[in-house]
Amino acid sequence: MTAAADTLAIRDLTKVFRIRTRGFRHADLKAVDDVTLSIAPGRTLAVVGESGSGKTTLARLILRLLEPTEGTVLLEDADITAMEGAELEDVRGRMQIVFQDPYDSLSPWQTVGRTVAEPLLLHEDLTMKQASGRVAEMLERVGLSPEHARRYPHELSGGQAQRVGIARAMVTEPALVVLDEPTSSLDMSVQSQILLLLQSLQEEMDISYLFISHDLSVVRYIAHDLAVMYLGKVVESGPAAEIFASPRHPYTEALLRAAPRPDPSHKTDHVYLVGEQPSALDRAPGCPLYGRCPISEDVCADTPQELVDIGAQHRVACWKRT
Amino acid sequence: MSALLEVRGLEVGIGGLPILRGVDMEVRPGEILGVVGETGAGKSMTARSVLDLLPAAATVDFASCTFAGQDFIPPKARQEARGHRIGFVPQRPRGSLNPVFRVGNQLSATLRRLRDMGRREAKDEALDLLRAVRITDPERVYRSFPHELSGGMCQRVCIAIALAGEPDLIIADEPTTGLDVTIQAEILRLLGDLITERHAAGMLITHDLGVVADVCDRVAVMYAGRVVNLGTTTEIYREALHPYANRLVSIATSLDSGGTPREIPGRVPNPGDELAACAFAPRCFRAGPGCFDVEPPRIDRDGQIAFCHHPVNAGEVPR
Repeated sequence: MTAAADTLAIRDLTKVFRIRTRGFRHADLKAVDDVTLSIAPGRTLAVVGESGSGKTTLARLILRLLEPTEGTVLLEDADITAMEGAELEDVRGRMQIVFQDPYDSLSPWQTVGRTVAEPLLLHEDLTMKQASGRVAEMLERVGLSPEHARRYPHELSGGQAQRVGIARAMVTEPALVVLDEPTSSLDMSVQSQILLLLQSLQEEMDISYLFISHDLSVVRYIAHDLAVMYLGKVVESGPAAEIFASPRHPYTEALLRAAPRPDPSHKTDHVYLVGEQPSALDRAPGCPLYGRCPISEDVCADTPQELVDIGAQHRVACWKRT
Repeated sequence: MSALLEVRGLEVGIGGLPILRGVDMEVRPGEILGVVGETGAGKSMTARSVLDLLPAAATVDFASCTFAGQDFIPPKARQEARGHRIGFVPQRPRGSLNPVFRVGNQLSATLRRLRDMGRREAKDEALDLLRAVRITDPERVYRSFPHELSGGMCQRVCIAIALAGEPDLIIADEPTTGLDVTIQAEILRLLGDLITERHAAGMLITHDLGVVADVCDRVAVMYAGRVVNLGTTTEIYREALHPYANRLVSIATSLDSGGTPREIPGRVPNPGDELAACAFAPRCFRAGPGCFDVEPPRIDRDGQIAFCHHPVNAGEVPR
C-alpha cells in the first residue's frame, strides 16, 4: 500500500454507541463497523449511503469530534486518535468541515469577516488585524468580494452563505476538508456554482475532500473514488467511474437503479430491494443487507462478508459478486 | 382536451409583496403535471391557492379558475373541494400527522367526515386504503402512532388519507423530499400507479428534475412567480424553449452523466426585489435589450409554451 502518501488513512475504524432501550437495559449499536479507507492528496472520496448508514458518524470520527471505539485515523501519517491537548488543536487546522445548512452553521451575530478569520485566530495565533488580509483574499477566491466581510449571515443568499462556509474551511489551507452534503439544501442553479467552486479550489490548493452525500448525480460529477455504506459497513468501494459503470454489490445496484435520472426515456426501478432499512440494532450477524437482498441465500444470514479486491482497487463485500 | 383544473392569471401577494405574478397552468384529466422551480418560484403557493390554504394575510386574485367545469374563484368552492375532489399529499409526512392519535384513527376519522361512514365501515375502508398504498401489515400500521413508523410508512399513510375522499386530482408537494433514495422511488411509483388506477390526475411539485422525468407527462417550469415554460416532459427535456428551463435541464443531465455542468450566474430573486420585464433576463445567456423593458411574448412551438423574447432554437445549445 502507498499509505505514506495518503492525506487520510483510516484503519479498522469502529464506533459503538451504547443506547438505552427500555428501563435499565442497554444495547450496543455499531454505527461504524470496521471501516478502512484512504484518500490521496487532491482527490475526492465520496461516501454515499442512506440515513442510518453511518456516514455522518464516520465523518465525525475522522475529525475527532467523536472518540472511536476501535481503529486509527491517520492524517498526513500522524495518528490523530492518540493526540491530546495542544497537538490535537494544531492538527485541527489541517482538517476542516463544510456543513449541509449554510445558515445554521454560521453564527448569526458574527460578521462574515470574523467567521472566516476565526480558524486563523485559533490555529495560527494571528490577531484579527493580521488575519484580515488573508480573509479578504479567501473571500475573493470563493467568489465573494472583500466588502462581504462586514456583512452578517442574514444578509446573504443561501449560495453566498455556503461560500462563506467554504472560505472558513479553506482559510487555514487544510489538507482535508469534510464536505457534509454541501449542496443538498441549495437551489439547482446555485448547486452547480458551488460544485464548480469546490472543484477549482481543490485543483488550486491540492486539498483532499471527503464528500458525504446521498445525491448520486452530484457524486458522479465530483468524486474520484466512492465508498458505499449500509448499516455501518462499507459494502463497496473503488474508483467512482468504475462503480457507476459496473456496480457489483446488490445495495449499490439498488441505489443506482432507484435514483431518478433526468431522462424521460429512463424509468427507475423501484422494487429491487425488499422493504425498508432495518435499525442497526436488528442487523443480521452476516451480511447487513440480508433480508432485503434479491440474490441472498441462507448462508448470507450468518456469514460476515469482507471487502474483497476484484481488481483495479474495486472492492466488494458480497461473496456472490466477487 | 378540456382541462380538469385550469388556472389563469393567478396573482398572490403577501404583505404587499408579489409572490405569484400571473400564473397560468392547467391539469388535464388522467395526466400528471410536474411543477418545477427553485425556492420562491411559487410552486407551493400555486397549489395552496387552489386548495385555499394560503396564510390569512395573503391576497389572491384569479383571472379565471375552473375545476371540472365549476367556477373555482369563490373561496368556498375551493374549500369544499379540498379533501373531497382534491387530495393533498404534504411534504413532511410525519409533521402532518397528529402525533397523539393512532394513524388508523386519523384515517378513519377522515373517512367518516368525508364520506359519512359509520365506525365499523370506516375502519374496514381504512384498512383497504392501507392495503392500496401497499402496506403489507395494515392491522399493525392502523394501531401505530406516527412516531412508531418510518418516514416512508408515514408518507404511505398520508397518501391513503389523500385518497380517502376519492379525489379527481391529487396534489403532492415535494412528497419524497427527505426520504431515502430507495424509498423515494417506491413512493413515486406508488403515487403514479394510484393516480392511473383511480382515473385521477396529479400535480407533482418538486425541484428534482429526475423525479419529473420519472413520473410526469407534462411539466411547468416556474421562475419568480410565473410559469415560464410548459410542455410535455419529452419536449422540455429534449430542448426546452425557455433559456432558464433549458439550462436547468442541461445542468441536471450533465451532472447525471458525470460531465461539467454549465453555470446559471447569480441567484433567484427574492419577493419584493425589483424585476426586469422578464425576471430571468439578468441571469440569461440569451438576454438582449428588449428583455429588460418589454413583457416577453408567448411562444407556441413543438408542443411547448414559453414566455421569452429569444427562445432557444432546436439544436442551438450544445449539450
